[in-house]
Amino acid sequence: MSDPIQDLRDLHALVVHPRDRSADELLQQVNRIGCHFDHMWPLPRTLPDKFDLVFLDVTDQSAQRLTSFLNSNEKAPTIIAIIGYENPSVLDVIFEIGAHAVLTKPVRAAGVLSSMLMARRYQQEQLRFKKELKKVREKLDNVQKVNDAKFILMRHRGITERDAYDLIRKQAMTKRTTTTEIAQSIINAESILSNMGDA
Amino acid sequence: MKSWKIGLLFSETGVTSIIERSQLNGALLAIDQINAKGGVRGIPIQPVSYDPASVTRKYGELAEKMIVEDKIGVIFGCYMSSSRKEVLPVVERRNALFFYPTLYEGFEYSPNVIYGGACPNQNSVPLANYLMNTYGNRFYFVGSDYIYPRESNRVMRNVLRQGGGEVLGEVYFDLEARQADFSEVIDDIMDKKPDVIFSTVVGQGCIEFYKAYHTAGGDGRTCPIASLTMNEGEIEAIGCEASAGHITAAPYFRAINSPANRSFLKAYRAKFGSTVDVTSGCEAAYSQVHLFAAALEETGEIDTESLREVLLGASFDAPQGLIKIDPDNNHTYLRSCIAKVNEAGEFVIQAKVRRAIKPDPYLVFPTIHDWSFRTLKVVGGGRKNE
Repeated sequence: MSDPIQDLRDLHALVVHPRDRSADELLQQVNRIGCHFDHMWPLPRTLPDKFDLVFLDVTDQSAQRLTSFLNSNEKAPTIIAIIGYENPSVLDVIFEIGAHAVLTKPVRAAGVLSSMLMARRYQQEQLRFKKELKKVREKLDNVQKVNDAKFILMRHRGITERDAYDLIRKQAMTKRTTTTEIAQSIINAESILSNMGDA
Repeated sequence: MKSWKIGLLFSETGVTSIIERSQLNGALLAIDQINAKGGVRGIPIQPVSYDPASVTRKYGELAEKMIVEDKIGVIFGCYMSSSRKEVLPVVERRNALFFYPTLYEGFEYSPNVIYGGACPNQNSVPLANYLMNTYGNRFYFVGSDYIYPRESNRVMRNVLRQGGGEVLGEVYFDLEARQADFSEVIDDIMDKKPDVIFSTVVGQGCIEFYKAYHTAGGDGRTCPIASLTMNEGEIEAIGCEASAGHITAAPYFRAINSPANRSFLKAYRAKFGSTVDVTSGCEAAYSQVHLFAAALEETGEIDTESLREVLLGASFDAPQGLIKIDPDNNHTYLRSCIAKVNEAGEFVIQAKVRRAIKPDPYLVFPTIHDWSFRTLKVVGGGRKNE
């Protein structure tokens, strides 16, 4: 995993906020921190490619519009919501758009760096967990397939579980493919054969 | 109105009193000079000075007192970061202007603070380069136990790694540490024989550490202690013999040979009798008061917004050379010199950077080969002290 502190100055940040004192403070601090940055207002329809991180003023904005802006780009940006009120309805919006960190108005210089790092780190972790979860799911699927195939072989040939597995593995080696592929073929063949029987 | 009141918040007693007294003197000298010329807009500046006695908590309390009871809107003060962090919320809440004439570890910005000392990119990198080229790249870190030493060492370790160096040890001590407390680490240093000891021990502990190193047979001429804070005032307390050969990097040394520095030292001697305690912190306090007075001349009122407006981008022909407040971050463009203590206890300048370096308080990893950090060799070591 890349180090958010080390990569800080490679970040492209976008500030979506009316041009007021809070926006000025924020832009100046992002400049001090040393990131590339741009400012946009009002909320644009789509998010340009180059931005890794978005500071987003959520005051008086519908969650729907915000989400459609954030999802307009395939590259999911890190989101730092800027809020004026800490009401449950505002906080709901933060959850809905999937913000990774929050700044409150009026924005002060202190705290911007920490929230950027926390947001980057949190998002990276989320991505890592998602990736790992996907891998684990696939693995579980594969194990299930091989199991099913083993039982088919055991039933048809009257062999032990161990022998059934060895058979699948040997086939995979001669055909230069994975045990999952072989298992899938066995399952497919079985279903075709049994369907024929019905006909 | 009879006078412009400004607050001075430097410890005259306690562990950091040597350096803070020198900063206080620098500020007082500048105030004298301004008042001798008729003050600001014909009105003299009147300093109100409190002594926080090197107790962290008192800095915040006294800053509050200055602002609330004495109706002061501008304060100069603080040495250690921990004391600055006490003052910071007070000046922000009351919207006062605070001048901090001390080097520190960076990663801070407050619209209410003007930072007059060096941040790591301005002095750590030139120092690391010089040490590795001159002595070798096996370092030993010794520091006081607070944020500045830890952050300095992080930067130093990073620059060292880029230069292929290694850190043989890293130890932190209480601010109140005495000579005897250092014996164990000095044994370890003698045993591991590093090329350089990088010390971020500050205040009284610094004096104790240099003395202990000397007593144990350590010699600055073979393995120097390098520091960003050890200064003229502390050499005085450590003694010439125990200080000889050690290295400091700072934006200012007494030995700088320039008309501005000569007249600064002359005025200092006339006011305080001698210049032995003139340090880079003293020079920074002196320059900041002058920068403030020039801004006040323009605004005509002590008001944080308008003073800041004038101060950002302002420059001053300081004893170290021309300095300028960076409008991007309220820090100051400073020079960087590297000096070695000679047998007579005087700093002799060995190298300096070509021009004032832009402050970059949010630089996480300074790079060793940045051209702006290259130093020039100084022949003859600048001026011998009169």
